[in-house]
Amino acid sequence: MLRLLTVHEWRLWKASPIVRLAIASFAIALLAASGLGATRAQRERATVAKFEQRAGSRSVSVPHVQPATGVIGNGASLPVRADVAANERGYLALLPPAPLSALAIGQGDVYPNYIKVTARSLDAVVSGDQIEHPLAVASGQFDAAFVVLFLYPLLIFAISFDLTATERDQGTLRMVLAQPVTIGQVVAGKMIVRVLKLLLPILLITIATAALLSPTDGSFWPRAMLWAATIIVYGAIWHGIALLVNARGLSAPANALILAGIWLLFAVVGPSCVNLLIAVRYPMPSRVEAAVQARAATQDATVQGSRQLGQFLQDHPTSGNVGRDGMRQFALLQAQRDQRVADRLQAVEATFDAQLEKQRQLASWLSLLSPTMIAQGLLLDIAGTSSVRFDRFRAEASSFQRQWRSYFEPRVLDAATLTPEEYAAAPSFAYVDEPFSVTLRRVRAPMIVMALAGGALIFAGFRGYRGYAL
Amino acid sequence: MSVQRRIQGAALAIAVKDATEIWRDGRFRFAAGLLFILLIAAIAGGVHNQSEIARQHADAQRAERDVWLDKGDMNPHAAAHYGAFVFKPVQPLSAIDPGLDPFVGVFVFLEAHKQQLARHRPIEDATPTRRLGQLTPASAALVLLPLLVVALTFSSFAGERDQGTLRPLLAMGISRRSLLAGKAIGAMLPLAAVIVPAAIIGAAILFWNAPADPGAPIGARAAGLGLVYLVHTLIWIGLGLAISARSRTPGAALVVLLAIWFANAFIMPSLAMAAAKSIDPSPSAIEFAASIQDEKDSWPTWDDRVDRVMQRFLDGEFESTMAPSNVEVVALLESEADETALYDRRFAELFERYRRQSESFERAGVVAPTLAARSLSMALAGTDEAHDREFAAAAGRYRAAMLTTLNGELASSGRFNTFDYTRGRDLWEKVPPFDYDVPSARWALSQTMWSVGALAAWLAAVAIAAAWSVSAMRLE
Repeated sequence: MLRLLTVHEWRLWKASPIVRLAIASFAIALLAASGLGATRAQRERATVAKFEQRAGSRSVSVPHVQPATGVIGNGASLPVRADVAANERGYLALLPPAPLSALAIGQGDVYPNYIKVTARSLDAVVSGDQIEHPLAVASGQFDAAFVVLFLYPLLIFAISFDLTATERDQGTLRMVLAQPVTIGQVVAGKMIVRVLKLLLPILLITIATAALLSPTDGSFWPRAMLWAATIIVYGAIWHGIALLVNARGLSAPANALILAGIWLLFAVVGPSCVNLLIAVRYPMPSRVEAAVQARAATQDATVQGSRQLGQFLQDHPTSGNVGRDGMRQFALLQAQRDQRVADRLQAVEATFDAQLEKQRQLASWLSLLSPTMIAQGLLLDIAGTSSVRFDRFRAEASSFQRQWRSYFEPRVLDAATLTPEEYAAAPSFAYVDEPFSVTLRRVRAPMIVMALAGGALIFAGFRGYRGYAL
Repeated sequence: MSVQRRIQGAALAIAVKDATEIWRDGRFRFAAGLLFILLIAAIAGGVHNQSEIARQHADAQRAERDVWLDKGDMNPHAAAHYGAFVFKPVQPLSAIDPGLDPFVGVFVFLEAHKQQLARHRPIEDATPTRRLGQLTPASAALVLLPLLVVALTFSSFAGERDQGTLRPLLAMGISRRSLLAGKAIGAMLPLAAVIVPAAIIGAAILFWNAPADPGAPIGARAAGLGLVYLVHTLIWIGLGLAISARSRTPGAALVVLLAIWFANAFIMPSLAMAAAKSIDPSPSAIEFAASIQDEKDSWPTWDDRVDRVMQRFLDGEFESTMAPSNVEVVALLESEADETALYDRRFAELFERYRRQSESFERAGVVAPTLAARSLSMALAGTDEAHDREFAAAAGRYRAAMLTTLNGELASSGRFNTFDYTRGRDLWEKVPPFDYDVPSARWALSQTMWSVGALAAWLAAVAIAAAWSVSAMRLE
């Protein structure tokens, strides 16, 4: 009987031009968003590939050759000064695009996908900011995650505000219920059609676009499954809310108004109020104050070190004017100065990071107030464009920096010149994504919370329908 | 009684009747009360955050100046390496519209040889949910207020027609024009009951929390902001009335208006920016850094540079009073000049891209009035991309002046041999403190003429559309 009701509803829907229009515009928005995201991801992949290739051919271009060797030209086999190779050129650690970056740009427009590693203890991992027009970051990106978070719930409400109200008012519901069916079965049939009508395009379009336009290696498919699961449980919450409101037995316009208000509250006003609350109640520690503190903490060490280094020489030593012994002494002084500055800087930075982490923790529980905020965190984490992956990249680059430093430091202190072979033998970096099981463990709890909430809402909705007045 | 007065009387009667009906509606009182609370919370929160950030930046700038002056004796070029921080001054009206402030760097480090973009955008430290937007007075006025307008206007004509009262109303001799005027005023009165008190309280909060720079002339900018929000609200009232008159049922009017609202508030900003970026792509951080590094790599090495200047010295290119040890100073000044030129060029290219992207974004205001209002709001609050660009340019000029003072001292010291040449506080004082004056409101508007035009055109267009829709309105 349920099947019959579902098929009947499906046929009714196929005939409705308004529904067709809504589904078509939803599909177009999804296609546009996924297409834009995939184009961006492709460009990012091409850039990373280009720079990986450059890093691979590190001995070919020789801009910093000692004049003493006297050979200029195609210097594929020319030696390089150790400090130039280790610090000035350094190493470009690259973060490849995330597995599902085509679906959610996430924090990719805020954090950079490269870090310059040097062998100096000061500025060991120099990461600038990602360059992006600030308006683009402020406006958000039109990607699949955006469509899922905002448009999907709105459309769920748009097609569900009149589950039974008009049929009841016109008296046709009473006739349907004269057949051997329960109101629960009628509503279930309607729900199944509504769930499928939106879920099919959203899952097919987002996952197919990502699979077609980006490599599906590594953890792509397991992550795609998680992506789908998140959309299903997120949708369940909104379908559940719609069902619960419908079960109250109000008129269709009243339902529409209430549901629009709920969408506004959970998806727009709620998150923006929570963010205002965080800004006022749990403000992040000030980078400006930290910069001043760092300056004060390192001033003595910097000034003292600079004097020892012989002021001008500090930054412009030429092998010609000090000789190799002088260069050795210079390297040692510089390393000592760097270490002193770095030690003091570390204390300031550690305090700042601890404060930042604490504030983030305090602020994060507030995100439980809105399903949109929970789902945003999940979608970005699963796509691999949340801050988790960028933090991991920084940590991996830091541990690589220790290898880089241990390889180069003795040579720099010796004012050595590297043969092309020695340079080529220097350590190299390849980012390794966290195992999928770690991601799964992290997203499991919020996913279960959302699933339980969705299930409870749908259950309460069906229970509410038991007392539906015809 | 003259015809004119009769029209006025009828319009007023309709307005009072509509306003009373709306005011009696519990749902309106609930929504309006909520909006009122949100507006006040947004203003209070905005003022709190703004004054906190302004204080931090002002304190930091003072502390930085002390550090600069008290750093002791050192070589002038070492002082250039020691560098200086400049902190972005916080605009008083950023309490109303923080605009792009959370998305641009808060300070620039100025040093020898390297020029940097402003660092540490607050968004990097924020929780990820911050990307979903924050409640500000501007977002309340430009996103939430139109929604209330939609709720007030969608059934203005469609509702009367639905209930069959439209024909009897016109049969009473009321002209369609006075009906439109009455409906418009009828929607404005309840809105004013929310907005006027909120604006007064907001202005008082803003006034009592005097900003860090009380002398800053904000009168014209504040008046401009008020006007932008007013015009934007009027556009939405016109839009609501026009669509209500054209729609078959109130439900259809509501759906169309909500779709327009959703497109304006949610889809258009990101879509317009995506289009702007595909028209004028800007480099990613890694590409930008590489383009600078590649060019630097093509230059002679430091050792080479010194050798070449030495050769020129031996060829007698310089004055005979110059000592051989000064060759390195000449090389230094020359390399510094090359570097400054390179960075200036690359930064100018990047900011030109940004400017063109902003321009494309503004042009999208022609199809979405909320975009135009948003651009203008940020411009008048001093928190848009043009103002950020202006600050970056001022920081660049300050850096150039600082280096000229310090390096010039090396060149003109007479002794010219630099290794044991140190200077102290008297020279550091010659570098003036960083003082940045925000451009005038007129300048801000001149940067956003497209938005001014778009908003004016929209106002005219919806007025005409509403008048036409009502005159061509079907009664059944």
